[in-house]
Amino acid sequence: MIVAIIRKELLAVVRDGRLLVLAFSVFALLSGFFLASISEYQQLQQEKQAVGASAKQQWDTQGVKNPHAAAHFGIYVFKPDSPLASIDPGLRHYTGQTLWLEPHKRNGARFSPAADQGLAGRFGQASAGFVLVALLPLLVIALAFNAVTLEREQGTLRMLHSLGVSAMQLLLGKFIGLLLAFLLVLLPAMGLAMIILYRNFDLTGDDSLRLLALGASFFIYYAVFAALAMSTSIHFNSSRLALFALLAFWSGSVLIAPRLGAAAAEAWMPIPAATAFWAAIKHDIQQGLDNDGDHEKREALFNVQLLKQYGVTRIEDLPVGYAALKRSFNDGYSERVHTLHFDSLSDAFERQSRFIHIASLLGPSIAMRSVSMTLSGMDLAHQRHFEDAAENYRHYFIGLTDDWDRERSHGTEHGAQGHDDDWASVKAFRYQSPSVGFALHHSLADLLVLLAWLVAALIALLFSAKRLKP
Amino acid sequence: MSLNKTLLEARQLVVKYKNHCAIDGLDLSVPAGCVYALLGGNGAGKTSTINTFLGFNRPTSGNVFIDGESPEQNPAVVRAKLAYLPENVALYEYLSGVENLTFFCTLAGIRLSRQHAHDLLANTGLQSDAHDRRVSTYSKGMRQKVGLAIASAKQAKVMLLDEPTSGLDPSAANDFAQRIRAAADLGMAVLMATHDLFNAKQVADRIGIMKAGRLVEEFDAHTVAHDELEHKYLAHARGLL
Repeated sequence: MIVAIIRKELLAVVRDGRLLVLAFSVFALLSGFFLASISEYQQLQQEKQAVGASAKQQWDTQGVKNPHAAAHFGIYVFKPDSPLASIDPGLRHYTGQTLWLEPHKRNGARFSPAADQGLAGRFGQASAGFVLVALLPLLVIALAFNAVTLEREQGTLRMLHSLGVSAMQLLLGKFIGLLLAFLLVLLPAMGLAMIILYRNFDLTGDDSLRLLALGASFFIYYAVFAALAMSTSIHFNSSRLALFALLAFWSGSVLIAPRLGAAAAEAWMPIPAATAFWAAIKHDIQQGLDNDGDHEKREALFNVQLLKQYGVTRIEDLPVGYAALKRSFNDGYSERVHTLHFDSLSDAFERQSRFIHIASLLGPSIAMRSVSMTLSGMDLAHQRHFEDAAENYRHYFIGLTDDWDRERSHGTEHGAQGHDDDWASVKAFRYQSPSVGFALHHSLADLLVLLAWLVAALIALLFSAKRLKP
Repeated sequence: MSLNKTLLEARQLVVKYKNHCAIDGLDLSVPAGCVYALLGGNGAGKTSTINTFLGFNRPTSGNVFIDGESPEQNPAVVRAKLAYLPENVALYEYLSGVENLTFFCTLAGIRLSRQHAHDLLANTGLQSDAHDRRVSTYSKGMRQKVGLAIASAKQAKVMLLDEPTSGLDPSAANDFAQRIRAAADLGMAVLMATHDLFNAKQVADRIGIMKAGRLVEEFDAHTVAHDELEHKYLAHARGLL
């Protein structure tokens, strides 16, 4: 019986001309945004590669100079985005695209596309991810808002009841039929996206797993809307009222909840301003953490320990370069302060992000948006992972130049020199993106919110079945 | 099937919607082979009676039985025995006549071959060129024929009709009446709520007049002339009886 209902629902979709228009619109919309995203992604990757290669070439050919001076030349590193970023670019427009690594200081990412764009650019930032999260639920609503009201209005519900079809059988058949019809409408666009992705990029197994998880998450998301749309359709006697109610829910979930959540998080969990953040780092380096003492006191203590370690009474008599040793000591302290503040900043961002999820009570869209960004590798957690890897690389190459400086000079003499061979021996930054397990771990809360919404929507549908009367 | 066996029965049936009494102590029985026409004005309780037999209304007191089974206690058994044709037979517009018939029969647990479906539709008099057309192009009479085909496929013992000839042209109404008569002659019990006195006189064996939820008069359709029937109906409607 359920199979017959599913088949009938599918037939309705196939034969309904409006659905053909919808399918074509979805195909055009998704394909358009996806192709634009792919183009932007490829352009960005090419720019990153070109700038990265040029920067490395400049680094390698600095000529003869002091190793520390060479370190100050700095190295640019770029976050290699996952191909899935062409589906959901996530925070790319707002986080920097590159990190400049230099001695003494940990920098934040810089050059965000949003900062480079003019006012007009703000109107063109929609992506395939936006279509999937924000617009496609409207298609589910369009398919489902009159699933039951129409049966009631046309009298077929009485016919079905007179034949002994139970409410649960009818709803189950309609729910499955609706989801299959939705997938049918989505199939051409999804097929094209997959072909483009697999043809243009060397997708790894990890990327495929991320895609799979993304697809499953979106399926849950749309099932929530389908179940809610159907129970709304049962609740209201008129199709028009059901549509209004569902559009109100969509607005709450997609438009209002994210803004409300962000505004509340900003008010209750503020992030320090950039000037205050850097001022605090500078203060802690100068004044010291806990009972470490101020910069002068720490340096004096270091000098005493250094002379004792090398068994000399004057700095000038040290067998190695004093400047490099002192710099390493100060940089070590600076790194400790930077790590403390950067970790604190990242934690504050994460607290804000978690706080925004309270607004998920208004709808599942915030959670889905977050899952989509994370599985595409374009969220805060992946950005932090990249920045931590870049910071480790900074330690590596600054340490290397400090070693050369220390070993090639002695006492207070500053004559250490490095050559192109030295610079070229610095290994290039190779970033290994985290696995799908990392993404799923960071998506866990959002996935649980999505599942909670699904359970709630199915329970609502179950209870609505009791109201289903001819 | 014994033509005297009671297939439709209401005993002291009372149905109340909140404070409104839709059916007030109805006693009614329809044996196999009988067409029972339930007459009455709007709000008299005709459709409520049909809905109660269908199991859509729960009796406030009293009982209804279809072939000895209660729709409340054995809804599945009862629904397998009855066919229902509302004023407008509701079909799916985007399906053809054959597809509608096959779909509704599948839901009723009957598997129909395509040929069998065509035969059933042909038996109701539906033109063969209409069988595979979408029902959105059908007239009301053609939809009634699909409804009759569903009843026929189910081999229903009981047929419940709610204003079946309302809106049909005289020829279609006459054709429909003949098919209902033929079904009853084969042993089906038919309960028909209607305003159509001519149709009731033409097809029914017994006629009952309802007013304010009560069965106020009941008589043999063959013993009453059309004028007399009209007089009784109007007199009850105007409160003269």
